[in-house]
Amino acid sequence: MLLLLLVINIYPLLWMILNSLKTERELSTNPFGVAREPVWSNYIEAWKVAKLGPYLVNSIIVTLSAVVLTLLVGALAAFFLSRFEFKSKGFLLVYFTFGMLIPIHATLVPLFIEMRSLNLMDNRLTLLLPYTAFNLPITIFILAGFMNAFPKEVEEAGIMDGCSVMGIFGRLILPMLTPALATAFIINFLNNWNEFSFALVLINDGALKTLPLGLANFAGQYNRSYTLQMAGLTIVLVPTLLFYLSVQKYLTAGMTAGAVKG
Amino acid sequence: MQMFLRHKWIIAAGLIPAVVIYTMFSIYPILSSVYYSFFKWDGFSPKQWHGLQNYINLIEDGVFWQSIRNNLYFVLFSVLGEIPLGLYLAIMLNGKLFRKGGIFRTVFFMPVVISTIVVSLIWNMFYNYQFGLVNTALRAVGLDHWAQNWLGNPALAIFVLCIVVVWQYTGLYMVIFLAALQNVPSEVLEAAELDGAVGIKRTWHIVVPIIADTIFAAVVLCISGALRAFDLIYIMTNGGPSHSTEVGATYMFTQTFSSMKYGYGSAISTAIIIISFGLIVLSQFILRTLKR
Repeated sequence: MLLLLLVINIYPLLWMILNSLKTERELSTNPFGVAREPVWSNYIEAWKVAKLGPYLVNSIIVTLSAVVLTLLVGALAAFFLSRFEFKSKGFLLVYFTFGMLIPIHATLVPLFIEMRSLNLMDNRLTLLLPYTAFNLPITIFILAGFMNAFPKEVEEAGIMDGCSVMGIFGRLILPMLTPALATAFIINFLNNWNEFSFALVLINDGALKTLPLGLANFAGQYNRSYTLQMAGLTIVLVPTLLFYLSVQKYLTAGMTAGAVKG
Repeated sequence: MQMFLRHKWIIAAGLIPAVVIYTMFSIYPILSSVYYSFFKWDGFSPKQWHGLQNYINLIEDGVFWQSIRNNLYFVLFSVLGEIPLGLYLAIMLNGKLFRKGGIFRTVFFMPVVISTIVVSLIWNMFYNYQFGLVNTALRAVGLDHWAQNWLGNPALAIFVLCIVVVWQYTGLYMVIFLAALQNVPSEVLEAAELDGAVGIKRTWHIVVPIIADTIFAAVVLCISGALRAFDLIYIMTNGGPSHSTEVGATYMFTQTFSSMKYGYGSAISTAIIIISFGLIVLSQFILRTLKR
């Protein structure tokens, strides 16, 4: 049973990768097997016609800048929410929890209008702010959850040594926070990397499109050339899988440690 | 602590960036969506006050109700598919046999990290009439007459999409449950096994009560996740054929950005929010009563 489920999980991906090396004709006559003669040129052509290069660069810029901003702002907020007592703390925790339940598509229209009136459409900053806003709740919860487990003595030691509040944060808390930051980084990275609907609505300029958007366009235009599509998808899929495989230890360990304690 | 009370302004300064970004680009849009829903507006010319007319139209709009029904199918399939399957996988992988079997966990979680666009395009080809795997397999075993255009059949398409959703997200719940199970002392689970409580019985009487809180949280996550479905449908069917796979988000999208009815689109957005929170509250209520 478990093995069957494993096959169901992995087969669609494998099937696509195998077929990406076939000609259109072989795909229709032999959709199951391995290509008789691998057509590597599919990959070169897909890379070119789908303009994967520029989209890749856009995705990297948008994703990384949003991740860095989210982690900076989120870690700071989590620090105060986790290590200090103040009146509005309870309210703020509920306020941020709410963000995890918002159906993000309900915000597409108003965000579009807001961005237009702020003159933020179609530039490099356009996606940065919504991506940050929508990833802040989960980021704050991962980081605050992790920090809650630190003993009170951390701050006391800091005060003894004459640290300021920001000194305690920078020199004591942040280094201890590394494992949780790694998890938050990965989750943020994947969320932004795969995000589609905000990019669809907020980016019209072809030169600024991200990878998911570019792929959707490409599939729409070349909807008769399946092997080419499969090659393009494989080019996008494989790096994501490699990234996931190399970080999955931290991802699942971090989720276990506090991300999802409900 | 004394020292910290003197630093109220530092607390405020530390929280302000997060609160401002989050409020401006997450909370404010929701509120303005409610506001726009009272207007007749094409997005460019001046807004016209429309009162509750958008909502009246919405209630009389058959496509809207169809899209809500499809949303409910997604919720139902997700909650009844992903959560039991995820729990099953978690229990299996938490057993002695698979303690070291990291590969299973890795593979089951894999679809969660793949972009929905990639997943949608792969499954589109999977369901392809001519060379798609489903039809090829049916033809191979002589069930030619079952082979069909899966996504083009209005009676089936929505369920065909539900399968993809379950495929993509079961791994997420597996990891969540695995995390919860790892906090349960293994003696408890083993003792239950010795007492003859195995299989479904053991799961229902021992495991489920112990991790009940995690299951509740997972159900909420699952409902809000299922109601967010957009990318998948937008790519795979775009709501068609003849609105049979329309969900709230796709209908909102076409009404707003293709038909230029911003006010009406905002009313749909607002309805999605109300329904989402309604369902979450309802599910909490049901689960609480079940717990007693």
